[in-house]
Formats: sequence, C-alpha cells, structure tokens
Amino acid sequence: MGKLERIAAQQDRAAGRGPTRRGFLLTAAGSAFLFGFAREAKAAQTFPASAGLPGDGAFEPTIWCSIAPDGVVNVNVIRAEMGQHTGTALARIIADEMEADWDKVKITQVDTDPKWGLMVTGGSWSVWMTWDVFRQAGAAARTVMVEEGAKLMGVSPASCIARNGRVIAGSKSISYGDIVSRAHPTRTYTPDEMAKLPLKPASERRLIGKDVKALDIPAKTDGTAIYGIDAKLDGMVYARPKLPPTRYGSKVVSVDDSEAKKIKGYIRYIVLEDPSDTVPGWVAVLASSYPAAIRATDALKVTWTPGKTANVSEKDIIEHGRKQIAEKTGGSCVFNDSGVDEAFSSAKQVFERTYTCASVLHYQLEPMNALARLQDGKWEIHCGNQWQSLFLPVIAKALQVPESQVIMRSYLLGGGFGRRLNGDYAVPAALISKALDGKPVKLILTRSDDMLFDSFRSPSIQTVRVALDDQKSLKGWEHHASAGWPTGVMAAAFMEKGADGKPYDQFAIAGADHWYDVGPMRVRALDNDLADATFRPGWLRSVSSGWTPWAHEAFLDELAHELGKDPVDFRLSLLTAKGRNVGSAPDSVGGATRQANVLKRLVEKCGYGKTQLPADTAIGIATTFGQERAMPTWTAGAVQVHVDRKTGVVTCQKIWLVLDAGTIVDPDGAAAQTEGGALWGLSMALFENTEIVNGNVRDRNLNTYTPLRISDAPEIDIEFVESTEKPMGLGEPGVTTIGAAIANGVFNAVGVRLRHQPIRPADVLKGLAEKKSA
Amino acid sequence: MIKRLLAGVVGAGVLGGLGFLYYAWYPPIATIDPPAASSFSAEQIERGRIVAAEGYCAECHTRTDMGGGPELAGDYKMETPFGAIYSSNITPDPEMGIGRWSEEALRRAMRLGVSRKGVHLIPAFPYDHFTKMTDQDISDLYAYLMTRPAVHMARRPNELPFPLSLRIGQAAWKLLFFTPGIYKPDPSHDALWNRGAYLAEGNAHCGACHTPRNFMGAEKKGSMYDGAVVDGWIAPPLNDKNPTPTTWTEDELYQYLRFGVAPLHGPAGGPMSPVPHRFLSQVPEYDVHAIAHYYADVDHAAEREKHDKAALARAMEQSKIDLIGPNVDPDAKLYQGACAACHYNAAPFPVLGRPDLALNNALWLDEPTNLFQVMLRGLTAEEGQSGIAMPSFYNALSDADMARIAAYLRRTRTTLPPWTDLEKKAAEVRETVKTIPVNSSH
Amino acid sequence: MIKFKLNGRDVSVDVPDDTPLLWALRDELDQTGTKFGCGVGQCGACTVHVGGRATRSCITPVSSIEGAEVTTIEGLHPEGKHPVQEAWRDIQVPQCGYCQSGQIMQAASLLKDYPDPTDEQIDGVMGGSLCRCMTYIRIRKAIKKAAAAMREETASNG
Repeated sequence: MGKLERIAAQQDRAAGRGPTRRGFLLTAAGSAFLFGFAREAKAAQTFPASAGLPGDGAFEPTIWCSIAPDGVVNVNVIRAEMGQHTGTALARIIADEMEADWDKVKITQVDTDPKWGLMVTGGSWSVWMTWDVFRQAGAAARTVMVEEGAKLMGVSPASCIARNGRVIAGSKSISYGDIVSRAHPTRTYTPDEMAKLPLKPASERRLIGKDVKALDIPAKTDGTAIYGIDAKLDGMVYARPKLPPTRYGSKVVSVDDSEAKKIKGYIRYIVLEDPSDTVPGWVAVLASSYPAAIRATDALKVTWTPGKTANVSEKDIIEHGRKQIAEKTGGSCVFNDSGVDEAFSSAKQVFERTYTCASVLHYQLEPMNALARLQDGKWEIHCGNQWQSLFLPVIAKALQVPESQVIMRSYLLGGGFGRRLNGDYAVPAALISKALDGKPVKLILTRSDDMLFDSFRSPSIQTVRVALDDQKSLKGWEHHASAGWPTGVMAAAFMEKGADGKPYDQFAIAGADHWYDVGPMRVRALDNDLADATFRPGWLRSVSSGWTPWAHEAFLDELAHELGKDPVDFRLSLLTAKGRNVGSAPDSVGGATRQANVLKRLVEKCGYGKTQLPADTAIGIATTFGQERAMPTWTAGAVQVHVDRKTGVVTCQKIWLVLDAGTIVDPDGAAAQTEGGALWGLSMALFENTEIVNGNVRDRNLNTYTPLRISDAPEIDIEFVESTEKPMGLGEPGVTTIGAAIANGVFNAVGVRLRHQPIRPADVLKGLAEKKSA
Repeated sequence: MIKRLLAGVVGAGVLGGLGFLYYAWYPPIATIDPPAASSFSAEQIERGRIVAAEGYCAECHTRTDMGGGPELAGDYKMETPFGAIYSSNITPDPEMGIGRWSEEALRRAMRLGVSRKGVHLIPAFPYDHFTKMTDQDISDLYAYLMTRPAVHMARRPNELPFPLSLRIGQAAWKLLFFTPGIYKPDPSHDALWNRGAYLAEGNAHCGACHTPRNFMGAEKKGSMYDGAVVDGWIAPPLNDKNPTPTTWTEDELYQYLRFGVAPLHGPAGGPMSPVPHRFLSQVPEYDVHAIAHYYADVDHAAEREKHDKAALARAMEQSKIDLIGPNVDPDAKLYQGACAACHYNAAPFPVLGRPDLALNNALWLDEPTNLFQVMLRGLTAEEGQSGIAMPSFYNALSDADMARIAAYLRRTRTTLPPWTDLEKKAAEVRETVKTIPVNSSH
Repeated sequence: MIKFKLNGRDVSVDVPDDTPLLWALRDELDQTGTKFGCGVGQCGACTVHVGGRATRSCITPVSSIEGAEVTTIEGLHPEGKHPVQEAWRDIQVPQCGYCQSGQIMQAASLLKDYPDPTDEQIDGVMGGSLCRCMTYIRIRKAIKKAAAAMREETASNG
C-alpha cells in the first residue's frame, strides 16, 4: 500500500466509513463540469447547473464510469484539473481497459461527495493511485458488454472480442450503446469482485501510451474554460480581504471606514470570526463590484495588535534551523540505522557541508478566490481546489455546521503547484456569506493579497555529512533538514512515523531518503517551528524533493571531488541496489538499478565528460528518484551552464532529462509535465525567490518577484525509458535535479561552489573573488 | 498647447508714467447687433473653420473640468501660481460671448491683445502670435465664430488677487515684449515655406509652448523653439536642439502633425495630443505639409538626416537589449514584464503602433517628465495613434518602480548621461495627475 | 455609458470611467476568457486587442477605449479556429490554461507585426506573458506553426 492509499484508508476510517466503497450508485446528484469529446473542437461543458450526468438508462457498473444508450462513455474524475490533463490520462486508463471508442469518451470533474473517498490531487499521485481501480472498472464494463453483447448476437462470450466501443464476433458486431439500450444491463461490482477480473496484458493496450489529444485543451484556447474565478451567481457581492500584519495572532483593534464609504459601490466591512482559526485577524470588505472592493479595501483603515512574529526575518528562521541541526536531539528520523554513530565516532575524516534554500512563492496565475452561498440548506463553496477532503471539514468547522452540509463545487484550477492543496482561501468566503445570511459572495484576492497570504515553500537549511575511514571509504551518512512543515501544520494526522516512532512531515524530508549505498544512514527531519509560527508553510511542486537534492546531490559532487573521483562514476558505484535499495514490486521494482540506468543513459546523451565546451561553460549532473521513495520516478538531469566571470550571471543553456516512470500513460502529457517541472527547477535555481522580512514575504508582485519567462527557457531534451512497469508520477520529478545540477555545473565551469539557492550573480562574484584571493 | 500662465505674465508690475497711461489706453469699440448668419458666405465660414482649427481656438475656449462644457463657450480653467484664470466665451451669445463684437473688435483683440471694451488681455491669449495673421484670415475667423451656436454661459471669475487683477500691468508687459505686425513673407524661401512659417509663427502659435519664457512670461527671442515646460510636460525643442536620435524630417513632422504619430519618434501625448487629432487632421493637407516643411528647415533636417540610418540601426539593436535569451537583472525583468511586449522592435524599422523607446523623444530629453507622464496617464484611443491605447500604470508602478524603469531605459536605450533624483521626480509628476486614470487592480 | 465595439458588436457599459477594461469585460459583459493575473500589467493574462494591438486590460481604463474596437479571446475567430488557436491545440500547449487566452492574443498580435517570427522576435514580444506552468517551449513551437499556417493561407489566397 502506498502512502496516499494509507492516508485514504485512514481518512475513511476517521470519517466513520469503512475501507470499501459502494459498488454501485445509480444517479449522480452532484453537479460537475465536463470535458467532451476528443474530436470536437470545443469541449462540451456545462456550468454551473447540474451537469448532464448520465442517469436515464445509462449503465454504471461502478461509480467511476458509465455507458449511455447513445454510446457515450462518461468517466468520473475526482482529481483536480490544473494543467496535468489528469482527466484525459485517467479516462484513458478506463477507456483502454474497456475497449471504448475514445471519440465517445467524456470526463466529468465531480463535486465533493463522501462516495468518492479521498479527494486529493498532488504529489504526482493521480495516475499512480488510480491505475489499479480504473483498470478494474474498465474491465468490469468490458466484461458486461461482452456478456450482454454475446447474448444479443446469440453467440458465446468466448467467441467475442471488444474493440473501439463494439463487441465483435466474426462478421457480427454490436455497439456498446446498442447493448445498453437493448439489454439494459444492471450488473454492478464490488471492489473485491473487481479485483478478481482479468486485466489486459500491456501488449493489448490501444490508448495507454499512445498520443491522444487532451480533452481539456480545446476549451482553454477559446475562452470557454471555466475556472473558479469565473463562477458567477445572481445577486452575488464581491469581497476582498484586508490582511492583517502577521499570518497568525493579529487582533483587530479598530476599523475606520469613513474613507471607504466615499467609494461608490462600497457596502460594508466584516471583521471575521473564525472558529477554525484559519484566517485570524481578517477583515473583509464588501462592494457591489470588484474594482470598488479593491479601492474600498485600500481606503479602509484597520488597526491591529500584530502577532508575535511581526519582526521575524528569513535569516532568523535559517539560524533557528541551524541551531536545531546542531542539537543532537529533536526531530524525527526517517532512517536511523544502527552503526551510524559508531561510524562517525571512529571516522578518520568527517566531510560535512551545509546548504540553504530561500522561500519560494507559488504565484499560480489565478489568484485565490472562492464563491460561497447557502442554498437549499447546504453551504456551497465554488472554487478550484486540490484537496477537498482536507478542507471541507475545516470549512464545516468554521461555519459550525456538520460536514454533510458543505459541498465543494469543482472548477478548473488556474494553476495549483500545491497552493490549492491548502484550501484556506475557501474559509473566509464561507464566513462572509454566513455573515450575510447565506447570500452569495465572491471573495477574490488581488495579486498582492495572494502573495502576502501565500502558503509558500519554507526556507530550509540542510547539513549533510559522511564518515570516511582511512581508505577514504564511506562508513556512514547523515542528512539533517530543517524547514517549516506544511503537513504538520495543516494535516498533522497524515504525517508519517519515523524510525523512532515520532511523526514527521514526509513532505519536508522526502528525497533525502535516497537509494545510494553509503553505509548506515541517519536522515533526520526537523520542524522549524519559527517558520511554522511566522507563516503557513505550503506544499510546492515536488515538495521537499524540490530542495533536498539541492543538498545531497551537490554534496555528492563535492565529496567526489574531495575523494578525487568523477561525480558520475562515484554515484554509479553507490547505486548498487543492495539491502533496502533493492526495491520491491510493483512500485519500486528494480530499485537503485533503475536509477543507475537513467544516469548512464543521461551521460551518453549529454556528452558529459566528452564534449569540448567553451571557456567557463560546463555540464553539471544530478540524479533523484522523483517525488518519494514509495513511488520512485527514476530521474537523471544534466544542465549546460555558462558563467560570466564579469557579471556573475549564470546562464543555463540546455537541459537534458532521462526518466524512468514505468509505463507512460500519456506520452505528450508526460513530456509537458516534465518540461514544466524542469523550468520550475530552473526558475527556483536562478530566477525567483522571496525573503521573509518583518514576518511577511518581501515581494508583492512581479515588479520585484521575477519568475522565469519565455526568453529564459533553454532547450530541453527529455527521454523516457521504455517500460511496462506500474506508472509513477510525472508532475514533479522534472523539478528535482535541476538546482543541484546547476550548482554542480557552475563548479565545473569556474570552480566556485554555491550552497544557497537561488544562485544570484552577487554570490557567484563573491565566490570568484574568494577563489582568486585563496 | 498653450495652457500655462507664468508668474511673470500676471505679475507684471505697474510701470508708471502718464505717457505709459496714454500708451496703455484703448477706447472701447461700439457694440453691434449680432450679424445674421446669412451675412456670411458658406465659403467664408468654411475658410474660417480652417483658421479656427489651425489656431486651436476650441482647445482653450472649451471647459474641460466639471464634466466639460459646450465648444467655444469658454470657462476653460488655467492654473497660475496666483490663482486660476478662466477663458472667455467666444460664441456669438450677445451677453456672455462675443455676439456684440464687430469684426474690427475681433481684429483688434487678435492683433493687439485688447478686448472690445479696451481692456488689455492676459497674454495667455497668444496675441503675440495672432498679430501676424492677415486681415483675410481674421475676417474668415470672424465669420466662423459668429455662425457658431450661441451659448449663454458665463465663465467663472478669475481668481487673481489685487493688484494683479488690474489689467494695466499687461500694457507694461506689451511695451517690453510685444511686437505687433502682420507676417512678412521671406523672399529667400518658397511659397510652401512661407505658408508654413506664417501658420507656425502666427495662428498655430507653436512657440507659445515650445519656446522658453523669461521671468516675465514672455517668449525668449534668443531661444526660439528651444523647448519648454508646459502643464507638467516638456514641449520638446523644435530646432536642432531636439535630442532624438533620428531627425524630425518633413515626413516625420507631417505624420506626427496630421495623424498623431511619427513612425520614428512616437505618438503625440499629453497637451500635444489634440493638435493632430482635433485640429490638424481637419485642415487642408497643404497647410500641414507647410508647417512640417518649415520645421524641417528650423531643425536643419537636411544636414542631420544623413545620420539617421545609423541611428535607426543602433536603436533597433538597443531595442532588444536584455529581452533576448536569459536575463536576471531585476530592472530588465521589470521592463520586460511591464513594457517590452508593446515596445520591443526588431530591425530594420519599428512597427507602427509599437513605439520604440530607443527612438522616443521622452527618453532623450533632459528630464524624465514626459516618460513619467505617459506611464502614469497612458494614452486613450483618441490620443497618439488613433484607435489604440496605452494602459495607465498609475497604480501598477510605484514611484520607485518608475524610477527603476526610467534609469534602466536611459542607461540601455540612449547614449546620454543618467537622469538624477528619479524617484522624487516620479512623485512630482504623479502629483500633476489630478484624476487617477484607472482603478487599482493590484 | 461608455460605448465601444466588442468582438464586432456595439456594446455599452454603465461603470465608472476608471473601471479597468478587464472587469468591464468579465463582470459586466460576461466575457470571462480574459483573465485576472497580476493586476499591474506585468503577466499578460488579461491581454486583449484594442484597435488590433495587444493591450493589458487590467490597467486600461474602459473610458480610454471609448469608441475603439476591442477583441477578446472569445472573438478572435468566430469558431475558435484562428491559426494560433489551431496551433495551440495541435501542439497541446495549454496546461492549466489560465494564461493561455492572453498568450494567444499576444501571439496573434505578434504574427501581425512579424509574420515569420524569429526566436528573438518571439522572446521580445512574448516576454511579457507569464506562464506559470512553463509551457514556453510549446508556445514557441506553436507560434512558428501558426505562422507557417498563416503564410500558407496567404499564399494559397494570393
């Protein structure tokens, strides 16, 4: 069982539900939005009325899919659509196993309902989590179609095959639609029954692994795609928050709206009372139009007593983490192998380095927003969200109503990147509507609000050290990482337990638990409580795997140079696939061997060590296992960088990536996700970061926050290893190697080692100057 | 356009002497019954329309504050350091306008700056230029004005304190700075040039904005067309002191004056904007060519334009600085995000509608005034190049952001020394924007 | 009442003069394809055409475009088949899609100015349009594809 499956089971139990899901459900009561057929230029989409979910005469062998009498196959998708074309990937799994006609497949992005179980989209888990159940659901549908089709044609099921939405027996055939309309099948499957169904061999796959067009794309090219911010209800008013000086602990002392009253359209302000303590100190400003709400909020004068963190700086947080690392106790160990202390106490030499990463903002392009109202006794929250299961209970707590009275309606997400895993923005919308007796209210954060209220990637500090004996052999390894803990703050029940039994945030350490054989290991996760108190740490694309490799992959290069070895050879010598690194089926079958393979292939491709490059130009390399140890996507990345010695500017000229993610369900989508991930990695390495100043982030908009733009994007060469193993995630692995590869490349180019991300020209110049004087 | 009144104009002291009083005294001219519209020929009225357009009468004789006012009915507010003054109603309304003025009274006002009643007019009314107009033009103008709809609307009283409110001071000013007289053609130049000079120096009163004024508010004779500050904008030099990298050639001037945009210099903004759109697009092409021809001579275009090819090529190289390939300079990033999508250009020529900043007047002037003005205000679809708009960055860029962009552009898109005190100057220019153009969406 | 032409139709909106065109389009005229991104004219998500030129609608007061012609993503082509839109689908450019209306409008205007754009010209013009999913590599590819399609169209019509 993978981590998320465990989380799902935990949450189902917590909610008083059994681990099984209902095998059959006839009508779908919720609304939804749909993406229609592949061939249509414009995707069919209905919003906001309840979607035309199949009910009349449709055959629904499981809750996941149905076949209508007209042959249309509907696939219910519980994952948020935020650019990964997840619906297309998931629908394809069902459709392939079902032998459906792809041109008749549509997707329904469903609203919250307990029947769906855990609704979360993150961690690159969607395909991986859905793979088995969707193949089984498809097999169930196919089995019924074949049985019923055979009956209608008067042949035996054994003589039939299913293809492209039809059951075929010799020269006879019948379409799925006709089978449904004539035979009215009603058979349903329990999960146990589904699990026993025979699945197609990989060689029989007709949609998986083939290029098909994503169903959500057409609507995104003609303005018809509907995002949370586009939701509109009759009679709604607009709201904008007046944000307190600190994320926590600010108390409203007084409010003066005399200037706001002069603004046409201003309605009133509301000091929010929040039993869930999600948005303490918030004041909401209401107006009849959003521009009026913006201006009135600017004009409103609020006095607060700020929280205790009003003077905290980024440096304070890093120094706090440094102290935590220096303390032997504290934190929780993912690995705490016996013998590690002995290795260090008897070491001939201890080689140690410390690495830091700056705060990074999500800057998802759609600012946070939510529309809330009370309708027919239920609180409706309209917004794009990545983890409805986590925040629906928080909304219920804020409103002080049972969870059954809250429904979250699904919309497209104008960017997720982990920001919308944290649904904190939905809470104030609900609270404002409650203050207005359930009237519809649309809360939109301006960009500066959004950045101030971001649940951003915590700054981090990591120390890696190894014990070397007199032969310069590795005898032990320690990796200590301190950062804010998003899961600890928002979903503590879901934290993993360490080797020492203490809970830790797996998303603030994953990546450090690598697959190298380096002797006994200690990997210790430290909760930077000063970070947690100052801001709400967030999950950001590739979570800790976006920054733990910054430490250990740079460290491995440093260590290799220290030992006089080539960094690639050195890594390969450690990827032996022994002990716990042997891997296990199905997720990590092959273990470290597969990581070694992608690294070797990468070196072949990029010409590392062979190609003659111009002065101050070099290739740097790093390798990871993607997002987390339990579902590894074996990843190797190389960058070619040039360093301008005069200005200190580092330019990334090219990126190569080789990935082994098992079966690639959607090759084009996989490439798209990997391209995007790699450029995120590059952006965080060279272009973007913020800094905590006086308890808040320094940046408020693009005038000072400078993410990568089109002119900054280098050429990227991506290769996926052909594989029929279980598919792993691809939303995040692209990010993971880039930062360390750049740091390693800079060292290879000019001999300067940089240990703080992002790499800024001033740091390079300083390094060059130090090197000169040394 | 002339929308300023410098301290000196109003503050001219009372110079004594009986002789002076004699000099200063003008008799009233008798009122008349408003002439019937039928007493003017259609041709004459049409000629008068052109004269009025070439003198931009409606610009300063139409109220713009308080939601605007009827055309030519006056009450246009002009700020002075001593208080606001308001322009007169020049519609033929008998009480409030000039309905009882004879043609002779109008002629005297245009030629000598004296009202029908014999009162000295404040030289915000640029009679120092109108004095050059021919009898025929004034007669045609009279026909045009007297056939406009009469508007019974009073102007607000001037807010000048005593003794500045005494108009006798204006007579002293005239004695010092005013030379009356109709334009005399220069026989060394051809008819087109002379037509241009006649219009530019006379009716079109270009020098009123583009020639610096002395402490008494009179145009400095020795600094003709050196450029000046008007209404918070810089009216750039029209002579060879104009610093733009490519020459204001006759064609560039014509495009600018006729259509509001010169391909190699940029659009007309601010107080200049109405000149093409409201006026010079409505007059015979020949006259606009004539003005362009004249100023191409004033700025010695013929001698300078041989450098244009190289200047253009250099500007096209500058236009793409920091925009091609990776860049981490924060100021370049700000420019890329806020400006470059519309202002980037590639060789060989800038695209019309894509004003190139490396060529633009605003970047090459001694002060960043015009650059800041246009950043803060933007350009409406009526201004500059017709039908397209530049957004207002009033709420999008702080004074510090504007200063960064200005310094960056000056550094990378010109060969001139850096501007100084940019943040302070940005704040000062921001102060001149009385109505915030756009609601914030930050 | 402020009047202008939207996607070929005469429209009027009764909003304050300083209302950003973005909100007039989205909230008054129900054209939600144009998106709110940064609110300061630096991300490009709100890009529409005014008089055929790409314009950041979030900082353009609606009164300033009185009488002008405005085109939004909804009106770029009556059936959504502008060559840029076609190329965007062929190359599968959008991920989350939120910036793509702006990207497409900016790209359509780029191709008017530079019908056969070089990488430099694409950088120069598209640098103002942020894509947080980082679809830049595909944007570049799709622009070139659209340019080729448009040239072909012109050639066959000419």
